Amino acid sequence: MLEQAAQAAVTGLKEAGIDFVSGLPDGWQRDLHELVEADPAFTYVPVCNEGVGFSVCAGAWLGGRKTALVMENSGLRVASEYIARIGLGTGVPVTMILSYRGDVGETEHWGIPHGIVVEPLLDALRVPYLVVREIERLRPAVKRAHRISEAQLHPAAVLVSGDCVWED
Amino acid sequence: MAVERFELLELLAEHVPDDALVMATYIGAVSFEWGCITEEHPRSAHLGQMGDVIGLAVGLALALPHRRVICLDGDGSVLMELGQLIVLGQERPPNLTTVVVDNRCYESIGWSAHGRRPTATAGRADLTALATAAGVPYARTVESMGELNRELTAAFDEGGCRFLDVKTNPGASRVPPRQTDGIEDKYRFVRYVERLEGKPVVLFAQQDRQLQHESSLR
Repeated sequence: MLEQAAQAAVTGLKEAGIDFVSGLPDGWQRDLHELVEADPAFTYVPVCNEGVGFSVCAGAWLGGRKTALVMENSGLRVASEYIARIGLGTGVPVTMILSYRGDVGETEHWGIPHGIVVEPLLDALRVPYLVVREIERLRPAVKRAHRISEAQLHPAAVLVSGDCVWED
Repeated sequence: MAVERFELLELLAEHVPDDALVMATYIGAVSFEWGCITEEHPRSAHLGQMGDVIGLAVGLALALPHRRVICLDGDGSVLMELGQLIVLGQERPPNLTTVVVDNRCYESIGWSAHGRRPTATAGRADLTALATAAGVPYARTVESMGELNRELTAAFDEGGCRFLDVKTNPGASRVPPRQTDGIEDKYRFVRYVERLEGKPVVLFAQQDRQLQHESSLR
């Protein structure tokens, strides 16, 4: 993620009222993790498994915090077990910011399956999402995803790609 | 050596401070008996399932660092997602006591003429060693009621991030199943947290709140 995009995402998180972030860094969102970790406005909990990160966020929400999970879209597959159990089964909101690896423009062969799976999987999990490919759309998208997440008490997602990660 | 699960839960209930919160599994005998022993007190969230109870408890403990949190989990659940031990060992919430009811089998799936299906703790897996290796500062295996009483007394007198792997005998629930689902359990718990902490968890009706605010300014 370009520095300007990472800054926009942080602003969106703050304006949404999110104060607790977990996640597993990836190549695109490494800078976002670093910004969040360094910012005292957030409690940052790094995890080595996105499913655990989802559980940690859900627990923090039950304690009154507003949470986000930042991860590569491959992490959605790992977290899907807990999104189904905790999200669909209990109804807990978590705003998820996912790198859209495998989107048009991808350079890495290993990212292709991530792109093939992510949107059908979000649909299967009944997670509403926005695909953001312009930096100026990222801040409001994070806020909007958080709003519907809180309104439906179920996760919502932002998929980040395009101009947010590439300068062509 | 091992203890009876119901007696373990009765003793734990005696030790849990009134203002503490409990993140418990809602699967099987542990949940049924804990709900019965604690008379379904709303301080207990029966929201954890297989592989997420410790993760939920870590999040809750970090969210409310001033409040004692107890995690009540089973061996099958811990084994399903060992990554939870990593985040427990990394974050080390000093207000979190984890109690694993380790009966070394998958009790809730029932059993056949061949007996109960064993978990890996019936074999070579050692949850206390795993927790220690993950960085949990205090992890102990407990095999008697005397040990359990000492460990729980220390946990609630001294605090700290503690992990207790309590070996229990297998056995069906002594009480009937609980009669709520995850949705009802969630609302019961968060409304209790809201009263306890004096702040909202669920934030419905934002538009209506804004309209109310604007009308009050006119």
